[in-house]
Amino acid sequence: MTDLPGYPSRRSFLKATAAGAALSGLAHSASAQQTPQPVSLDDYQREYLNADEWAFIMAATARLIPSEDDGPGAIEARVPVFIDRQLASDYGTADDWYMEGPHDPDADPARGWQTPLNPAEVYRQAIPAFNAWCEQTHGAVFAELAAKQQDAALTSLQKGDVVLAPELREFWGILLANTKEGYFADPQYGGNHDMQSWVYIGFPGARAAYREWPERHNVKYPLGPVSISGERA
Amino acid sequence: MKTFLRIIGGLALAGVIALLAFIFVPVQVSKPARELAADWQPEPGQGEYVLHASDCVACHTAEGGEPLAGGRAIASPMGTIWSTNITPDPETGIGDWSYEEFRAAMVDGIARGGTHLYPAMPYENYRLMKEEDIRALYDYIMADIAPVQNEVQETHLKFPFNLRFGIRAWNWLALTHDVGFDPVGTSDLQDRGQYLVEGPGHCAACHSPRTPFMAQDGVSTSDDGFLTGGVIDGWNAPALRGEGSVSQAWPVEQLAAYLATGRNAHSTANGEMGLVVEHSLQHLTDEDNLAMAAFLKGLDGAEVELPKSFAATGPTPLPAPETDAAGKATAAMLIEANPDMPLGARLYSDNCIGCHFANGKGAPGIFPELQNNHLVTGSETGPLISVILNGAEMPGTAKRPMTLRMQGYRDRMSDEEIAELASWLRKAWGNEAGTVTATDVATVRAASDSH
Repeated sequence: MTDLPGYPSRRSFLKATAAGAALSGLAHSASAQQTPQPVSLDDYQREYLNADEWAFIMAATARLIPSEDDGPGAIEARVPVFIDRQLASDYGTADDWYMEGPHDPDADPARGWQTPLNPAEVYRQAIPAFNAWCEQTHGAVFAELAAKQQDAALTSLQKGDVVLAPELREFWGILLANTKEGYFADPQYGGNHDMQSWVYIGFPGARAAYREWPERHNVKYPLGPVSISGERA
Repeated sequence: MKTFLRIIGGLALAGVIALLAFIFVPVQVSKPARELAADWQPEPGQGEYVLHASDCVACHTAEGGEPLAGGRAIASPMGTIWSTNITPDPETGIGDWSYEEFRAAMVDGIARGGTHLYPAMPYENYRLMKEEDIRALYDYIMADIAPVQNEVQETHLKFPFNLRFGIRAWNWLALTHDVGFDPVGTSDLQDRGQYLVEGPGHCAACHSPRTPFMAQDGVSTSDDGFLTGGVIDGWNAPALRGEGSVSQAWPVEQLAAYLATGRNAHSTANGEMGLVVEHSLQHLTDEDNLAMAAFLKGLDGAEVELPKSFAATGPTPLPAPETDAAGKATAAMLIEANPDMPLGARLYSDNCIGCHFANGKGAPGIFPELQNNHLVTGSETGPLISVILNGAEMPGTAKRPMTLRMQGYRDRMSDEEIAELASWLRKAWGNEAGTVTATDVATVRAASDSH
């Protein structure tokens, strides 16, 4: 028989036994490597968001992808870190977007970004406005509401029941989109911590080699994901 | 007593005289293998072609410098040797050299004025070139190469290698062969291949082993060590003959395609060989590359089947490569994607499998196969580690214009991970080579950091 490389063969097993227990770990396991844990979200050094905005993002993303039930939530996946870092980057400043007018707040959503504000400015102006609405409607800023009230407030925001300035009309859309992106994007951007969302949905990440698998119907692909920077889970 | 002292004194004096003679008496230069007629003229283009076939440009051109104006640093075990300016500039080049002086440099390693050249200049091999070619090369350089004023850095090796007259003794060991070409006579094509391989191509300079005195152990077909593989600057120059060599494993057209384009159905040229293809071999005729391939194939008496053509232009069918039982076993293990697979296999799955595939066969003409790949399984692990860390590039050639490029993985894998991966590669698909340590990887990483 042919010995597979790296797998202990019968002969190497015998050798290892003879040599004693010290050699028992001949081949490393391919499972996840130990990565140092990052700072907790409470100690995280924010790059763009201020304290009130951070409290809002923490609370809102935790309701959009909650931690209850199965699978990681936005907090475990460190989605708020992703959003903070994106807003500090060229996404937040819309560096490579067409930002000249005309901006028509009544335009069909399919016609794209219809505000002179960049995403970072939208967050900066919309969060206090939405918090004011929450105080008025539910009696406290969003982060301090009970989960049920937060869900109700977000539903109102989604339905357009929260009256915001016309240039803030993209707020709900980017809040939801950025939350999903932070949950599923490669971990190098700060979210999807330890590739938890990929493990949860069975996405194998940046491996790019499944030629032999498309025709294996109803067989679960067993190998965990790899990130762009090579982390294994 | 007096007699004894006289004898000692006499011997000492004789010794001093011999030493002075050794240092100062000019060396006899070799006569041409064949006297050319007084009115002999090279064929049009012959000199330029010899320049390509001899790969003068690769060594005699500095990084970003004028072609042939010298100044490239050539690493040797003795220290850095700086290549000379061989443009016909009278002050800094070879403009004042007579043809006899030029021939002496080519076949005896002696520069104008009697200085011994360091054998980084492959005069051991150029010694086998035909008089006509040396003459054509001289005429071409003198008449058609523009003189470039470029004073190159002088070579200063450490004692005792700074004493160039010592090379005179070295040459007694290294230059035991006659000047000129001695064909085996198998066929005209194979003889032409033999000439290009032995002489201008100076393949033995890397692909023959070295004697304890650092001379080439095998400069021509009649020598046992000829092209049996060497190690140069930490790279394996694989054997080009014998069992397991590419010459025996690959058909003639694949050998020729590798020479002409730096790629074929099995592999991709790398390192020094990539430079040889880029600067020299791609400029040779198809017939000459085929001749060298045929010569190598038949070197140990194997049947030589000549193809009609190789590396054809236009759409070419590239059949998927087949693998053997050992290859299939490793492929099956990788395809199973079991999380308990060894770390090396996991790293291969995460980083390499997209191009080199589960069977390690790569893709013909693009991605090299890793099974029985000499760079993967060589005694020297530095090149494999370097390719994983820094990537590799084979520039486009006339017949295959696409640049082949592999990215580096230095940021994606640690030294320990690369050691696991490299060790695994050296045992996968039936490969049989030793392990690589994280220290080996750290050494290569540090060396490539400083470049």
